[in-house]
Amino acid sequence: MNRPAIFSRSSLSRRHLLAGTAFGAAALAAPAILRAQPAPVKIGLLHPVTGFLAFSGQQCREGALLAIEAINAAGGIKSLGGAKLEPVLGDAQSKPEVGAAEVEKMNEAGVAAIVGAYASAISLATTQSAARYGIPHIVDVGVSDQIVQRGLTNTFRFCPGYGVIAKIAIDNLVALNDAAGKPARTVAIVHEESLFGTGTAQLLQKELPARGFEVVEVAKHANPTRDFTNVVLKLKALAPDIVIPANYYNEYVLLARTMRQQGVRPKAIYSVLGGAASSFKFVKEFPDDAAYIMDCNHWYDPRKAEALELRRKAEAKGLYYTYEVFLAHEAVRLLADALERAGSASRERIVEALATSSWDGHFMPYGPTRFVNGQNEGARPVNTQVLNGTIEVIFPAEFASARPVFPMPRA
Amino acid sequence: MRSLPAIGFFALAALPLPWLTSSGTVLNLATMVLLFATLGQAWNLLGGMAGQFSFGHAAFFGTGAYATAIAQIRFGLDAWSGFALAILAAVAMGALVGFASFRFRLRGSYFALVTLAFAEVARILANSLEITGAGVGLLLPLAPGLDRLQFADKAGYYWFALVLCTGGLVLASLVRESRLGARLAAVRENEEAARALGVDAFAVKMQAILLSAGLAGAVGAFYTQLFLYLDPHIAFGPQVSVEALLGPIVGGTASLWGPVLGAAVLQLLGEASRALTGGATGANLVAYGIVLVLIVRFFPDGIIGMGRARAADARGVTG
Repeated sequence: MNRPAIFSRSSLSRRHLLAGTAFGAAALAAPAILRAQPAPVKIGLLHPVTGFLAFSGQQCREGALLAIEAINAAGGIKSLGGAKLEPVLGDAQSKPEVGAAEVEKMNEAGVAAIVGAYASAISLATTQSAARYGIPHIVDVGVSDQIVQRGLTNTFRFCPGYGVIAKIAIDNLVALNDAAGKPARTVAIVHEESLFGTGTAQLLQKELPARGFEVVEVAKHANPTRDFTNVVLKLKALAPDIVIPANYYNEYVLLARTMRQQGVRPKAIYSVLGGAASSFKFVKEFPDDAAYIMDCNHWYDPRKAEALELRRKAEAKGLYYTYEVFLAHEAVRLLADALERAGSASRERIVEALATSSWDGHFMPYGPTRFVNGQNEGARPVNTQVLNGTIEVIFPAEFASARPVFPMPRA
Repeated sequence: MRSLPAIGFFALAALPLPWLTSSGTVLNLATMVLLFATLGQAWNLLGGMAGQFSFGHAAFFGTGAYATAIAQIRFGLDAWSGFALAILAAVAMGALVGFASFRFRLRGSYFALVTLAFAEVARILANSLEITGAGVGLLLPLAPGLDRLQFADKAGYYWFALVLCTGGLVLASLVRESRLGARLAAVRENEEAARALGVDAFAVKMQAILLSAGLAGAVGAFYTQLFLYLDPHIAFGPQVSVEALLGPIVGGTASLWGPVLGAAVLQLLGEASRALTGGATGANLVAYGIVLVLIVRFFPDGIIGMGRARAADARGVTG
């Protein structure tokens, strides 16, 4: 009775032995495979993909993911043996405290760096939390200058802050007005109520009078605002020569549409960081409302083929090619360059590499990167104008694709 | 002080968490639970015990948050004085809201609307005034140090939150077991009857709102110390008022532990729904909402209320 049982058991064990041998062989071979495929580098992508900033947050995420896809397809980080980038996605739900909580999770997930967090208020919280762990944090969009003025050594911002943007916007506005024989003198500012709109408006209010403009109205509005009739009626009564909006996408569109419906036609709508003014989405959906609107905003260098290539890729994915997409995309590429030079996924080494970065492989009109206290000193905005149903660059002159139309024609 | 042993046990049991885990996520989650538990406890002093449902606790939270930030940034005070000042400022705000509504015997939905209005007015003021930094908000300089009430690691903030939460529990249990607690219950159940028995409803409700506002102000000041940045939406936004009342309602307004349990359940639910729904954008919020609806639908007395109902059923007691 026992023999067959023993026999069968030994037969099974022989089979096990075979399987075990095969497994052992595979295990012995594994280090070779591991050498060929180095550990991926985890990158935290932290954006407000839900809540009132959801559209912009999702655009950022998509832009960053496109960059990771392209970097991986091109062979990953070469100095790390072709290590792939692995995105760790986070949602700040449009709240600073949730953003800070996501940093904790990303830290435990072992991210080498974080790219985010679109909004200034969220970026203030996430950079501070990341600093606790020495995680390098590239701010992709947040324009508040306070983000880079807190002495956080882990924080880097590739794009310009509103200090620089407001200054260049005013310089270009003055140049534009002078070239046209100074037809404009009075200005009305319409801005959203959070950090970026208010901060920008304060700078404009301070600087414009010194440059020969009279600020006749500063109108602040909430996010979201569903009706601009009162603001626009006031504009109609004041009849300013120039209206300067500084707000997020939805409010911008609504404001521009209400102005057109009410027949408010200033000599220029000249926005500073206008959420929609240089957005292909706005131009496509409301071409008549968008016509002739000028903007001083983040924009790519249209002479660079990669910028146009990314536009094609983004549009193939059904995305609008907005500033969020290309800024987040380039922020990830800046990080990849730092990883490449650091030759290590260690956080300290990446911070070092970013601080000494002189990357010129990007398609933004910034020149090689140079970080002073975490701010890329060469970063600057570009002036655009919606002309003939598309967005043209009107300043700076070295890559302007069209001449500005100012004052805008009376419809 | 029948609840004191339980509170002591809770504090002692929660104390060693930072030594048990080095996970920043866990500590952060625990800190947020304690923060919202304390805010919920503050709301419950007025909403649960006195039956005055406030939809505007952001007014007190935000006043406390801004008071300490302004004291430190504009007047150079140290953070501890700022913290004390925050509580006083929130109490003053409570006095204002309480006087304006209880003096004119506003109750129920009228009271709720008035508190909501106060919070909105505070938000708009914070959004316009120079001293609050208007829409730009206020940013405290990052400088860890005990005198500045900024801790270099998460554990410091966790323990500080634990002290606040324990303080809130002690305050609530003191009120609950005092004559004030009995009067508050009387006013809550039937204000006319309470008056007929000689309870000064106005004075009793004022005491409740002052205590409630002070505690909410302390939570606001803690938030400021934790995140170092405030804007009108963060401090006075309607989501703060909702977070304040959601915890106690989910946990159970009738109990000392309801706000704590509610805050823990809501925070964990938020995390769990995120983990379960994975990458699908916003799906976690949908899941969160559904569970919330189910809790409110099937356990109108909160989770603690459910436990009590079960116990009562088991004893064969009905109603």
